[in-house]
Amino acid sequence: MADFRALILQRHRQLKWKAFDPLEAALMILCGVCIAMFTLAVLLDVVTRTIGAPWLWLQQVTTAFFAWGVFIGMAAATRRNDHFYLTEITKRMTGGSRTAIEVINRLIVLVVAVLLIWCGTQNAILDLGSYRMPSLIPLTVYTAIVPIMGVLILLFTIEQLVNGWKHGFEGPEDRDDSREAIL
Amino acid sequence: MSPTTVLLMMTVLFLAFGYMGVPVAFALIAGVLAATAFTQISMQSMVGQLFHGIDSETLLAVPFFLLVGELMASSDVAHRMIRLSQTLVGHLRGGLAQVVTLFSMFFAGISGSSTADVAVLSRTVAREMEKEGYDRAFTAALIASASTMANLIPPSIMAVVYGATGNVSIGGLFLAGVVPGVLIGIGLMIYSYFWGPVGVMKKRATPTEVVIAARGAALPLVIPVIIMGGILSGWFTPTEAGMVAAVYIFAVLIPLLNRKHVVELPRDFMYAGLLYSLPLAAVAGASAFGWMVAYLRGPDIVAVHITAFAGNDPMIIMFLLVAMFVIVGDFIDAVPAIIIFMPIIIKLTEVGNINPLHMGVVIITTLVFGLITPPYGLSLLVASKYVGVGFGKAVLRSLPLYVVFFGTIAFTVMFPDIVLWLPKHLLPESVGCFKAPGTAAYICP
Repeated sequence: MADFRALILQRHRQLKWKAFDPLEAALMILCGVCIAMFTLAVLLDVVTRTIGAPWLWLQQVTTAFFAWGVFIGMAAATRRNDHFYLTEITKRMTGGSRTAIEVINRLIVLVVAVLLIWCGTQNAILDLGSYRMPSLIPLTVYTAIVPIMGVLILLFTIEQLVNGWKHGFEGPEDRDDSREAIL
Repeated sequence: MSPTTVLLMMTVLFLAFGYMGVPVAFALIAGVLAATAFTQISMQSMVGQLFHGIDSETLLAVPFFLLVGELMASSDVAHRMIRLSQTLVGHLRGGLAQVVTLFSMFFAGISGSSTADVAVLSRTVAREMEKEGYDRAFTAALIASASTMANLIPPSIMAVVYGATGNVSIGGLFLAGVVPGVLIGIGLMIYSYFWGPVGVMKKRATPTEVVIAARGAALPLVIPVIIMGGILSGWFTPTEAGMVAAVYIFAVLIPLLNRKHVVELPRDFMYAGLLYSLPLAAVAGASAFGWMVAYLRGPDIVAVHITAFAGNDPMIIMFLLVAMFVIVGDFIDAVPAIIIFMPIIIKLTEVGNINPLHMGVVIITTLVFGLITPPYGLSLLVASKYVGVGFGKAVLRSLPLYVVFFGTIAFTVMFPDIVLWLPKHLLPESVGCFKAPGTAAYICP
């Protein structure tokens, strides 16, 4: 079984370019940084409130790290094929039908990524004029992650489409999984 | 296009994409954005809704309870609680099966994640169960069924999501989940005792052995006290309680009980950081989906159909909702399901004049059942993979255990006074009670 806790997941290696490995590692590290930072922020929030000198802006820092963490994780999970799926039906398919379905699935993700980039950028620009109280942080600081995530998802989806087309989407892990499912 | 047609199209697209293998979060977003094209709403505002769906401080509790589960699972501290369970129930018929259930009850009080429970049990007790002759399919079925308690016995991630989106007291939901959670545990223990594999009969542990095991497990078992004590005393919100529990584990528990694991903490954080983004990415997509369902007047459409059959009878409305969520839970993960259907739940809660907390615990208990039913029984899928048995075989061995869940759901619907007894006495405001003027007593509806 693949080490799911690894910085760079070796599962479905044939769908990955080596050049993007540092990006996956960086995203995983950022996931850890985000959760560590908002843990620290909530801790400081409780401590400062308990000693009677609350730092009100900490809540904004917390939600910023939280939201960024969600979207960074979403991008990392795209490269690692780690998202929640309703079914893993494609893993039991082979040959041309498998390629067709995998390509269609990734084209759907690709369209979503393009819309996230386009609409997310427009939202982020609009949010330059809105501020969070009491820290007066522009809302863009929060919402800018949506188009950034869109770009990362776009890159990873193109990577999987190109490599899947060249080397096939099927990996040795899928054969193990489908054998288990049949047993 | 009429709103009903757009609603149907959006749902069909989501299910079609999802079952073709598009990740849940993207299938939801794609369905919503396609539907948006047929409405007056701009794409831009729907993309904005993705962000607003997770921009909630209450949802912060989700990563904390996942982090707690991940830290407990990876640091190997949980085996102390397994040892305690063994000394308490290991001598009974089907001893290891009883241990699985009792440990899951303990672990449910620490972690809000069923999959963390499955991971711990599959790595430890499952191997011993195989040595003692338990068949793998039964082991996977029992571990998955027992792990569902993590979403009922507090803290519960489903309760956090339900409370945050339905504006229901999370502390109240935590307390209301205790009765159905314990009922499932007792039901599984009774099943294992009378109808499960015999296993190897062992001698009853001596009181000294029980005391030694209890002392060993004392530090991990402080966590439920921290979480519920903090919430009930008003010291912490559920989010803060989750943070305190996580800090307690990595600052006290791991250095004291498994110092070697300290170097692994950065990896635990990175993995937990990835893990929490998965349900919350689905939450982002589901909140946009739920918003669109409400915009297209989905709740009114469903309410008309349900009330045509049930009138305003709360019991029939609840049983119809249970039937609906048993089907929904078979196909969709519980967290997005809660958010997508929340507008409908709120509408029917009003129509039937049902206590929102009671409705919440009924819906959560029903969705918990979906964790072990095909085709999308997440806990059973993970358990069968870890234990090394086919999903189909594990499903067959789970079938008798479904009776426990049906019984618990029926009990939760029919006896609200018992289910809501704990929140009514410990958090009266959560069930709609209010303070009588000039006294400390509460007036309850």
